[in-house]
Amino acid sequence: MANLVEQLLNALALAGLLFLVSAGLSLVFGILRVVNFAHGVFYMLGAYLGFTTVALSGWFWPALVVVPPIVGVLGALVESSTLRFIYRRPPIYQLLLTFGLALILEESIRVLYGPTAKGVEPPVQLQGAADLGGLLYPRYRLFLVVLSLVVGAAVWLFLRRTRAGLIIRAVAQNSEMADCLGADVARVRTLVFGAACALAGLGGVAAAPMTTAYLGMGISVIVDAFVVVVIGGLGSIGGSMAGSLIVGAAQTWGAYYLPETAMVIMYAVMGAILIFRPWGLFGEEE
Amino acid sequence: MRRRDFLQVAVAGGVGATLGVPAFLRRTWAQGGPIKIGMPAALSGAYAQYGIQAKRAAELFSKDIKGKGILGRPVEFIYEDTAGDPATAVRKAQKLVEKDGVKFLTGVALSSEALAVSAKCPEWKVIFMSTINGAGALTAKAWHRYFFRVNTSGPMGARAISLYLAESPMKRFFALGSDYAWGRDSVGSFTTQITAAKKDIVGTDYPPVGTKDFASYIAKIRQSRADGVYLALPGQDATIYLKQAHQFGLNREVKPIMEILELENMKAVGDAMVGAIGSSRYPFTVDTPRNREFVKRFHDLHGVYPDMFDGETYEGLEWLAQVITKAGTDDVDKVIEAWEDSSYDGLEGPFFMRKCDHQAVQLGFAVEAVKDPKYPHPIPKILATYPGEKVTPKCRTEEFS
Repeated sequence: MANLVEQLLNALALAGLLFLVSAGLSLVFGILRVVNFAHGVFYMLGAYLGFTTVALSGWFWPALVVVPPIVGVLGALVESSTLRFIYRRPPIYQLLLTFGLALILEESIRVLYGPTAKGVEPPVQLQGAADLGGLLYPRYRLFLVVLSLVVGAAVWLFLRRTRAGLIIRAVAQNSEMADCLGADVARVRTLVFGAACALAGLGGVAAAPMTTAYLGMGISVIVDAFVVVVIGGLGSIGGSMAGSLIVGAAQTWGAYYLPETAMVIMYAVMGAILIFRPWGLFGEEE
Repeated sequence: MRRRDFLQVAVAGGVGATLGVPAFLRRTWAQGGPIKIGMPAALSGAYAQYGIQAKRAAELFSKDIKGKGILGRPVEFIYEDTAGDPATAVRKAQKLVEKDGVKFLTGVALSSEALAVSAKCPEWKVIFMSTINGAGALTAKAWHRYFFRVNTSGPMGARAISLYLAESPMKRFFALGSDYAWGRDSVGSFTTQITAAKKDIVGTDYPPVGTKDFASYIAKIRQSRADGVYLALPGQDATIYLKQAHQFGLNREVKPIMEILELENMKAVGDAMVGAIGSSRYPFTVDTPRNREFVKRFHDLHGVYPDMFDGETYEGLEWLAQVITKAGTDDVDKVIEAWEDSSYDGLEGPFFMRKCDHQAVQLGFAVEAVKDPKYPHPIPKILATYPGEKVTPKCRTEEFS
């Protein structure tokens, strides 16, 4: 029983982390129609800035508050200074641009921080393992589950229940019509891109105590995040949540019960889902 | 033919002609110029720390031989970034050999890259000097006479720590190795050794390279009720494992035993790493006059203490310079002959390059991560030192007698 609970928690914690990253990726695709290769690097940037903030302040909590807006502003600047000009071009341009950005950012981080991974301690309150009726489970992972649920709910409510969310959904559905109706599409795009980067930054800060901040963490997470988004359906927040749960479960349970398949199981699941729903679980048929 | 077509053909022909000149011809033209050493190293990506260690060692070596050179000729290092990818490593190595005309390749970081690049060296007729790569196969199944391994291999590391564990009260072990050549080789060696010492392997797993969540493996290790877990995980993977195992409270129950106990891990993991034991290819805390000097020079230049592959790469370069001097030429065949069955006075002790498989016979170390107020991070404390004959496998095998 304790073992089953542990497996479940492991899947949830990883899913939480994946959700924080894939939600932004999905949003950007839904609204900007851009597959953002640089998304993983914004996650990595979040982790490194988190390390710096913790090193400067001696505390973990400020990093969680300060870093996402910084990454978000940087993201918005990137969108308004580069991506904005090539929306009308074939998708390969956007792919090349975001891929190039990813390389530049990753190498800049390496030059600034050096090759050694940067360890970040969880906040004092969340260090060590909690005793859940005989099961020792890291407090920090429990926190990750809660954090991602709160963020997921907040993003969903924002998109569904606020006027700004309504405009964003309108742009996602038909940007030309939204433009005609007076929505400032260019601004919406910049803000959404910034917000998505902020989410990735938050994911990075949250991941740092679990994985340390290291070179290559962006590439490693972006592959999983793409799988999540493809499974869940491009552009859907609910889909990102479902996709994260499926990928989190496939990876942790795969590694536990079928270790020889740890590498492929995630892709096998994705393939199986795509056979029945090529547009993903929550995506819309185009 | 239109002008543009002509130009295209001309350019293509020109490129083809340059590449088409046999490598040995271009080499003779270059005779008398600098001695070029090519480093197709992982300088970016998750395993950049290894490539950067090789580069740091080369930088110190360049500084140390400044003005003298080798055979009176200057030494030129040419670096190429492989990002830790075998296909890229082969491409970059080919560029170094065919375009830059290097005769010596070193600094390759991962065993997967080394196996791919080394396989091409007989055809290119260049020497591959391993100073990092652990996969046992490199000096066994995949060996050829252009390959030299200066460093301790994975099976040798596994041997050293097994000899240490044979004397320890620990009885049950779990083995966790990254799912590629080095991880699997090391776990294989460890399993054979530990079983021979009448101890038990209670579980084995091979997580993929780049695993970022070890929770599932941690659960299994805990359930196996092992006394120790043998880890053959490369740099970053080991750091993540140790961090997460610490958060699960596992390190207190199951002692981490590292195939390579690296400074990189100790810096990133910090105090949670204290108490971990393992083997070391080169512990910078070795107390010999040569090493004390080296550590000081290294620290002066780079501001950090030398990690395992800083030391091993420096030794490789110094040894290579010694054999080129002995051969009196940088001709590849003559250098191979001069290197075989030659000795070298390394930083931590004597080295001997045996002829049968070009594996350097050298000391093996069992070390423990300890805190020392003199250093900003935990450091390796030497628990036991084993003579080369005890930790080097039988020729062209991964087995020990």
